Amino acid sequence: MQRDHGCHRIDHSLSRRGFLATGATAGVACLATPAISRELEVKQKRVLQVYLQGGVSQLESWDPKPGTRYGGPFRAIPTSVPGMHISELLPHTAQRMHLLSIVRGINLKTNSHHDGRLFMEMGRRSGKFPYLGSVAAKYLMPTNAPLPGYLHVTTRGLTDYTNAFLDARYGQLKLAGPQAPPNLIRPKSVSAQAATRSRELLKRLNSRFSGRGGQKSFTDSYNASFEMAEKLMARRELFEGPAADKDLDRYGRHPFGRNCLLARTLLENGGTVVKVTHHGYDTHAENFNFHLEQLGEFDKSFCMLLDDLRDSGMLESTLVMVYSEFGRTPKINVRYGRDHWGTAWSIALGGQGITPGAIVGATNKEGTEVSEREVDGGHLFHTYLQALGIDSSAYHTLDGRSVPIGDPAKQAVQELLA
Amino acid sequence: MSDLPSPPPLPRDLPLAINAKKTHVVRTFTVDDVPLTTCRVDPTGNWIVAAAENFHIYRWPLDGPQSARTILHGHNSWVRSFDFSHDGQWLYSGGYDDRIGIWPLSDPQPTPARMLVAHDGWVRWVRTSPDGRLLASCGNDNLLKLWDTSTWELVHVFKGHQRYPYAVIFHPDGKRLASFDLMGVIKEWDIASGKVTRQWEAKFMWGFDKKFRADMGGARDMRFSPDGKHLAVAGLTEVTNAFAGTHKPMVLVMDWETGEFKQKLKIDSRGMAWGIRFHPDGFLVGSGAPSGFLWFWKLDEEKPFHTFKLTGGGRALDLTPDGRQAAVAQTDRKLQVVQFTAQSA
Repeated sequence: MQRDHGCHRIDHSLSRRGFLATGATAGVACLATPAISRELEVKQKRVLQVYLQGGVSQLESWDPKPGTRYGGPFRAIPTSVPGMHISELLPHTAQRMHLLSIVRGINLKTNSHHDGRLFMEMGRRSGKFPYLGSVAAKYLMPTNAPLPGYLHVTTRGLTDYTNAFLDARYGQLKLAGPQAPPNLIRPKSVSAQAATRSRELLKRLNSRFSGRGGQKSFTDSYNASFEMAEKLMARRELFEGPAADKDLDRYGRHPFGRNCLLARTLLENGGTVVKVTHHGYDTHAENFNFHLEQLGEFDKSFCMLLDDLRDSGMLESTLVMVYSEFGRTPKINVRYGRDHWGTAWSIALGGQGITPGAIVGATNKEGTEVSEREVDGGHLFHTYLQALGIDSSAYHTLDGRSVPIGDPAKQAVQELLA
Repeated sequence: MSDLPSPPPLPRDLPLAINAKKTHVVRTFTVDDVPLTTCRVDPTGNWIVAAAENFHIYRWPLDGPQSARTILHGHNSWVRSFDFSHDGQWLYSGGYDDRIGIWPLSDPQPTPARMLVAHDGWVRWVRTSPDGRLLASCGNDNLLKLWDTSTWELVHVFKGHQRYPYAVIFHPDGKRLASFDLMGVIKEWDIASGKVTRQWEAKFMWGFDKKFRADMGGARDMRFSPDGKHLAVAGLTEVTNAFAGTHKPMVLVMDWETGEFKQKLKIDSRGMAWGIRFHPDGFLVGSGAPSGFLWFWKLDEEKPFHTFKLTGGGRALDLTPDGRQAAVAQTDRKLQVVQFTAQSA
């Protein structure tokens, strides 16, 4: 692997030391102390998740094996990191690999969309735990955040209960695309004053309901929904007007390009966790034709977003994740497809807290097994959080009980951490 | 010496009559460890070539044993399409490495005389002109190109397809090209002017998967009848889940003079039609995968008059010059040669 040993950003070490100190003092106490919150607000940390739904093929992306039995038709190309090669389907990304690192040794031990997704998002193989996005929103979102903490831009609705036992305000809010969500504009028949009074009344009623033994989670959930709606209503200009032609020329005019453009806008305007889903990687048939199309869209749009984050100085405080629920089988089926494969696959990470330009882990010659530094969703979950300066070995505190943030049996992939 | 004429041949010496219903396997060639992608028989009937899900081209003498196999090295991706010079001296291969390989077919160990960078993206199809002077190709740059087969200079570029053209072929009159793209768009091109002269949309051979927002379609094989009156296109129809390969095989037969879609030969099973040929005896023969079959149709009938089960999915087929046999490239690593006659005693 290659590492950038020259990266010694003081804010990273400050954050990690701060969290560790808090944990040492308070035992299993909540991490987000006021002091640390202030530190985070000085330079807000963010997360950009690019989720390639359905399971992108590692052989057609981060771990090509051209010329081998299962290598497929695509070639490997050199990248901006000497010695690192990725698929020819990612020519723009190849020129930016000095900003990213690859994890090539992931073994989830599941080939199920559902189980793989939950493992990659929760860091746990089973149970009901908050997604990385919800955890990051809880510990990173400033108190006066102008936008909901966890925004998910997706053209399809998958049911996700992302916040689990965390407050509903940390649950993901789905946006269907760059168009404004419905009902953002207050009806003309309702004055601003009337709307405020109505909101206050609702709060009082909710408080009374909770105080009389009503389920607090219900009212919390409703309150969170109203808070999110209010924030979006206050920032509805983010969704108004067409995107600039020059941006569309760069990002692409297809839905994923437009969604990446929206992700940039959301991050630039105070979004804490922004997830963009690109659908269409579950290629049981015609894997190669479909990856040609899908990664053709992904490559340019993602790289334009990466460039803009870098150019604005936001990349070093934004954890970038490009991931799926699993990879795809090395074996090519009779429909020129690749099937579900959680056994030996890859993701890419970059930005906040991540050593750039590294390759961690490896698969064997034909990509059928992890041959070096095997990790799973639990290890990666710790890694994401520690990259963000969050002590993943600490605990969530919840009404008198404590829940480990990350799986106590797993540890972060230290080689990836800057 | 007698001046008597030779006696008429006895019935046992006559070639067996073509009878598709008597189709049977006469030879099987294999590759080591991967499925085949395509195959062709050269115009002299001496050689059979195949490509596989690796970077190799395999060559056997048509009547030879498995052990006579030669591997041709030169591409660095899969080969999708073959054609030949009319004298059978040259093999042309279109590869997913953007290149066309030009091979001296009969050399003991052919090496490429040239690897021509032909397209910006996969070369999906190559086809020789009726007079042998030109080679047409199409690729993932959405272009059709014509190459001079004596100099390998680019003669013309045809622009017009908005999505990947999957196949391009010459009309037997040598003056026109036909091409078929991902979206089911069929174009007729006048070679002299470079213009599109007619266009059709075979939307029934394309589908948009709403769930995954993806297009699925394209020709997997294309052929004109020898008289140029009909065009046959192999592909798919009724796409319901593109990513799972849920669609049905289809062969479209067009009346090329009127432009009418004459027959939509749909097979009621899941899969793709990968090969199609007009047999000299007037019937059509097609191949399909993943459940491997050869289908035999009469031109005026919608249902096959015969089907022949293959041992693996049939991804491509080609007829021998005498029309008595066909080679089928299969998903089970086999290149099978079938004969359309009763078995010899």
